[in-house]
Amino acid sequence: MTQHAHARPHARKGLIALAVGATAAVILAACSTEQEGGGNATGGATDCINAEEAQSTYEEAWQSTADAFGLDQLEPVAEEVCEVDASEWQAEPKQGDTYRIALAAQGPNNSWGLISEEAFNYHADELGVDVLYASANGDATTQVDNIQQLASQDPDAMVVVPMGEGISGQVKAAVDQGIPVVLCSGILPESSGAVSTVTRQYDLLGSAYAEWIANQIDGEGQVAILSGLAGVPTAEYQVAAAKETFAKYDGIDIVTEQFTEWSPTVAKTVAQNLIASYPELDAIWSDSGYGAIGVIQAYQEAGLPVPPITGDAINDFLLTAEGTDTRFALSTFPPEMSMECLDTAMSLLQGENVLNKVYIDSPSFTNEDAEQYVRRDCDGSLLVPTSVPEDLLVSLGLCTAS
Amino acid sequence: MAVVTRTAASRTSVLAPLAGLVLLLILAAVTTPGFYSPEVLRLVLFQIGVIGVAALGQTFVLLLGGIDLSISGMVSLTSVVLAMYTAGSDDRLVVGILLCIGAGILVGLLNAGLVVLRNVPPFVATFASFVLIQGVIIAWTRGAPSGRIPRGLAWLGGGRILEIPVPLILFAALALIAGIVLGRTTAGRRVYASGLNPDAARLSGIRVGLVAAVCYVIASLSGVIAGLINAGFIGFVDAALVRDLDLNSIAAAVIGGIALTGGKGRIWQTVIGVVLLAVLLTWLIQLGAGGGAQLVVSGAVILLAVWLQSRRFPLPSIRRATPEKGMQ
Repeated sequence: MTQHAHARPHARKGLIALAVGATAAVILAACSTEQEGGGNATGGATDCINAEEAQSTYEEAWQSTADAFGLDQLEPVAEEVCEVDASEWQAEPKQGDTYRIALAAQGPNNSWGLISEEAFNYHADELGVDVLYASANGDATTQVDNIQQLASQDPDAMVVVPMGEGISGQVKAAVDQGIPVVLCSGILPESSGAVSTVTRQYDLLGSAYAEWIANQIDGEGQVAILSGLAGVPTAEYQVAAAKETFAKYDGIDIVTEQFTEWSPTVAKTVAQNLIASYPELDAIWSDSGYGAIGVIQAYQEAGLPVPPITGDAINDFLLTAEGTDTRFALSTFPPEMSMECLDTAMSLLQGENVLNKVYIDSPSFTNEDAEQYVRRDCDGSLLVPTSVPEDLLVSLGLCTAS
Repeated sequence: MAVVTRTAASRTSVLAPLAGLVLLLILAAVTTPGFYSPEVLRLVLFQIGVIGVAALGQTFVLLLGGIDLSISGMVSLTSVVLAMYTAGSDDRLVVGILLCIGAGILVGLLNAGLVVLRNVPPFVATFASFVLIQGVIIAWTRGAPSGRIPRGLAWLGGGRILEIPVPLILFAALALIAGIVLGRTTAGRRVYASGLNPDAARLSGIRVGLVAAVCYVIASLSGVIAGLINAGFIGFVDAALVRDLDLNSIAAAVIGGIALTGGKGRIWQTVIGVVLLAVLLTWLIQLGAGGGAQLVVSGAVILLAVWLQSRRFPLPSIRRATPEKGMQ
């Protein structure tokens, strides 16, 4: 009896704890899948200078991607691109004769991160500027500390590869301290106060892939979306843009949305499930070449034709797809854009106006042109095509000397 | 009377994961009619193989009252070592595998050394090892591991014998061996005794430190085997690989009834947990559930399992840690 009397409250407490835990898990999951807005890149300018010319550079990237994918139209999302008056930031080196540029980098935790920072350093050598470096190892919390540490060294300018919106406060603090901050390969809310943002536009990639798929299946059919990681802005922006594009086609049915963790292994498992669940699948929208590798393998092993698929241009993907009749559309998010980020920072210091949003126009191509982009002399993890200097690729062990 | 009540409770606790599995299979049949197609069943069997191998190693450490958060690190390291050393050449495969095994033994000994010699909590020690492994991989490869997995390994990840995936066969064989070792040998009983009460075990002459070292090495080696399976499955170095494997291996063991407090549970319970988790994960994807929903349901099932354990329903094996009755 006594045991019962003790057991009941214990069980009730357990049930309450379980219910609270499950509720918290549901809320967390709901938050993690909430999509973040994709069109809120920074802009330090309050008055839009030279708006017409700036706007036309923005639209060029959309047009060239549309041309590469053979699309009649690819409507750019609304963006206000302006010039930033650099006179506010023009300055002589704070210490000695050499500019010191801080780089708050992602860190070399994958080939993209490695090339991004090495290309930056390579270009800094060319320009004769010193680099203050901090690696976030892909983590926004670490980057908060990195930015504080770098700002405390009072660099002439700072280039930040943003790991998440959580760093906005530190970016703002650095700008308020008088350091011009250039965001590189990512975006932050306007409240961060960053002077300029240099990136490939996520909306463009997401929309262009979706539009190409719609074109391939004549605007009708079942489509699966394979995204990287739930809740990660770089993945969510692209998916949001893709869904918006697919929504224009009444005949397109997004039958499932799965996550590949940007891993070919996970993607292959997911694709095996797709084959079993959706045998009539007409196309696969993927944000990643690594994910697309797993998809191709799964379909080939099942003895089925691979549906039209998208992704970023990884050398390994091209090698895997070589000799197959897979239809694909690939584009790039080039890590070497870090060189342009450095140029933008230097332009500010030298009083040359820059755009508040520099949207990189990098190559896009389909299976029809893939042959010219395969790099058999380079590692599979290389993003192709690349404008990284060959001697740097060789010194990094990514390619063999020709 | 108290004994009768406890026995009934024990049965309930032991039957809970089985009942959960049956319920899940019924739910899958009702909600996803294609679940029992050969293609989907093969997916389930493959998942059982991959998660199962890691869960077996995790079980040895859990029985000690420890935990190993470095298994997924070993999976990644195996993939990188194999690719970097062999560069895709079958001629170098055997030596490559031996190098991976060597790395697994080293990491296992490191974990055991931290836990046994320095009294570092297992959670901290093995997480530190995981971070260390990641650091070694990044420092060694500079974030861009090169090389390919030899084609000769493809059968381990993607092969089938009589339509049964090779990873499942490997898991079944390893589970059988683990079951016999834990349930029918003196070594196995030493594991349970060390997990139940290390001081008492030490006083009775068991070298608890040695037992722990062996268990941590077994756990690391299970990571190596899981890594070989994954490498064979995809054929590439996958730096983003198996983020969830640690969680899944712990979840499978806990869902089956292996106590996080050590000394309680049997290998067949881990097997049931593995099957339940593999069915659950596959079913959720078949349902079209998104990543968030998959995590929520998986987390809820683990919470339920831990809650059932916290009700202190003793498992039969707890009370039978004697050589005469065995553990299996």
